[in-house]
Amino acid sequence: MKNYSTTRRNFMASTAAIGALGVMPLLPSAAFAQGSTLRIRQERDHSILDPAYMVGGVDVEAQKQCLPFLSQYTSKDGTFGWQPTYFAKKLEQRDATHIDFELVEGLVWSNGYGSVKASDVKFSFERMKTGDWKGYYDSLDHVEVTGDRTGTIVLKKPFAPFIMNTLCNGPGAILCEKAVKKAGGKFTTKFPAVCGPYIYEQIPGQQATFTANPEWTGPKPDYDTVKALIIKEVKAAELAFEAGELDCTSIGADTLARYTKKMPADSAVSVAGELQYMWMGMNTEHPKLKDPKVRRALQHAVDVDSILAGAYSSTTKKSNGVICPGLLGQRDSTKYYNYDPAKAKALLAEAGVSGLELTLRTLNKQERMLTAQIIQANLAAIGVTLNVLPQDSGPFWEMGQEKKGDTWKDLELWLMRFGTTPDPYEAMQWFVSSQVGIWNWERWTDKEFDKLYDQGIAETDDAKRAAIYKNMQDIMEETGAYVWINHEPETFAHSVKVKINAAPSGELNYRRFERV
Amino acid sequence: MYFYLIKRLGLSFAVIITVVIVLFALLHLIPGDPATIALGPRASDEAIARYAAKMHLDEPLWRQFLIYISNASMGDLGVDVFSDRPVTQIVMERLGFTLALITCGLGWAIVLGIPLGALAAVRPNSWLDRITGILSVGTIAIPSFVVSIWVLVIFAINLRWLPAIGAGEPGQLGDQLLHLVLPAFAIGLSWVGYLARMVRASMLEVMGENYIRSARAFGLKPNTVVYQYAMRVAILPTITLIGIGFGGLISSAVFAEIIFARPGIGSLILISIEARNFPVVQGAVLVATSLYIFIVLFSDLLVAWLNPRVRESL
Repeated sequence: MKNYSTTRRNFMASTAAIGALGVMPLLPSAAFAQGSTLRIRQERDHSILDPAYMVGGVDVEAQKQCLPFLSQYTSKDGTFGWQPTYFAKKLEQRDATHIDFELVEGLVWSNGYGSVKASDVKFSFERMKTGDWKGYYDSLDHVEVTGDRTGTIVLKKPFAPFIMNTLCNGPGAILCEKAVKKAGGKFTTKFPAVCGPYIYEQIPGQQATFTANPEWTGPKPDYDTVKALIIKEVKAAELAFEAGELDCTSIGADTLARYTKKMPADSAVSVAGELQYMWMGMNTEHPKLKDPKVRRALQHAVDVDSILAGAYSSTTKKSNGVICPGLLGQRDSTKYYNYDPAKAKALLAEAGVSGLELTLRTLNKQERMLTAQIIQANLAAIGVTLNVLPQDSGPFWEMGQEKKGDTWKDLELWLMRFGTTPDPYEAMQWFVSSQVGIWNWERWTDKEFDKLYDQGIAETDDAKRAAIYKNMQDIMEETGAYVWINHEPETFAHSVKVKINAAPSGELNYRRFERV
Repeated sequence: MYFYLIKRLGLSFAVIITVVIVLFALLHLIPGDPATIALGPRASDEAIARYAAKMHLDEPLWRQFLIYISNASMGDLGVDVFSDRPVTQIVMERLGFTLALITCGLGWAIVLGIPLGALAAVRPNSWLDRITGILSVGTIAIPSFVVSIWVLVIFAINLRWLPAIGAGEPGQLGDQLLHLVLPAFAIGLSWVGYLARMVRASMLEVMGENYIRSARAFGLKPNTVVYQYAMRVAILPTITLIGIGFGGLISSAVFAEIIFARPGIGSLILISIEARNFPVVQGAVLVATSLYIFIVLFSDLLVAWLNPRVRESL
């Protein structure tokens, strides 16, 4: 047997050699992949791809590449709508509670699970009613299978947003019944079977790779391979984009402002949507804010234009309500207030209030803090002292909820931002009477508002729906509990050689990307 | 020596247990309901209940701790609350990247820092010594995250000589090494300064020893005196410093992994803290701490092995 021995000198020499290996000269030839490969940023690993239990966001992006959907978003003249996908030969709303569909012929599941059937649609949608995303299927009664590839989605009651809100969105993914049942009824990071242009593989912490699905018979996407590189920080992604290592990435507000002044070479910026709405809320039940004149004074005191310029570098749209740009019912202007410090002072005097001291709570994020500071200066100008209380996400999201403690009783002012889907119903649902103490932290109720909310859900005429939602925002604003601030965009920087496709809420759909 | 080894192992174990207790307490002191924070403000009640059950959040704190510690002792660090993947597997997938980064970062710092320090000591107060001194203090003073951003902007964005992000294409060693260059340079730079200063100070002390004077008096060549007699003794404190530095680089690696979007233990911990993914946080910190303790222990034992005087004093 050979005797291995180590001397101190040998050890030192080996250590030096290993160290030298780390700095050996290397050629950069393999650094930049090209060809028909699309390189994009992905914020995190896919956690759960099962639509019933997914986390959302990037999980939906993976579903859109590998699973069938019946409908997809469209955007025309700045307004969002829907159209059937390639998978659906027909998708028609027969009446307020019936949606007929017909699948395209020849769709095949991978792994030998046969053709995509209407029974898969029934299985997929009906199982959602017991999953974590069941809220999207509250209105679903059942899916009626009328043929091998045909069926009808039957709703319990008229629900106008069903196609836009549910079928175009992640919860609208169709799964292979046989494959999911064989996998035990649910799955996490591996699709039991796919039907789409791509198959999927993930290397956790590094990348998700979408490669051409050999069994796909539908239209081929422009890119054979999509590499979604895991980049947690948006700043790192922006630098990678500028280094030419990404073809597309989301960017932050400050970078958008920088790119607006000087765009990197061969690059462009696209806005997917502006489905975030931010406002300053006021607790109408708090003793200091119970008088509507005080609330109206605060509405007049806040200079929203300064906030947009100072905190958001003029990269976001001014808000006039909870309905975001491109959606039915968006308002062009406020109805009950504008920036008028003199009027604010007069209203405070009229209410007999002086030396008012309030607390504004906000998430401890850069833009929110800047916004809070500008509001602080605005209120100081009318004699109101504002204390800003930055909070971590944990306590922030609990402070208005009655079941999470008593903070809601002390809540005075706060900066809030919600995201929504491209249907006005989604944004309105948080402000009805039943949401007081849950998400309606302003704590007002209005029977007319609740009635309009129900009408908006049932109404299928776009013009009438738009009028309903405008009316509802008037009611909200009249309470004096809101100062509308902005709608932040979902912005992407990309190569000019790439035409991107993203849902209004920012999820990328690589299969619809185009090479220019 | 054996008694020393057993004593050090016992101490290491006590440190690990303390870290686990502190970490466990800290994670549960973070304000807010962990289930709501992890799953988002609009998570369904069922999802929150499922999360709480999976995390044993419905159990008393002491019982949660006992469950964790007993599972961890069996090598089971729990499962990722989102993907259900074993934490041990997740941590091990990332550990190699962090070790490669730290080894390369410290490796090039050793290759450059030790000779620089030795040269500076051999010619004290020369121009070489002064330049080395200025560079050493300069590199020590610049935080690694600042270096990371600068090298990224210069070499990846402006010059496009080196890749900016990621760990390289899986299975392609050349590409993976190429992706190591910038982050390893960034985290290793300050260690060039540390090592050079340490070796210089150590060498100056050794060069004044009687046996060095005797060696010179016997007419040995200057290089032989410096590299075969003085250096072998002067390097010993540096080994301890390298051991501690290895642990310190784990924290530097966090910045490098985030800025260069590399997978690794540091970025895993940060992402998991933000997501309140407690099992992953606990598992990753436990592994990182154990690694640190092991490296420091190893360097101490190495010094004892290399230096007979230390060995005999144990």
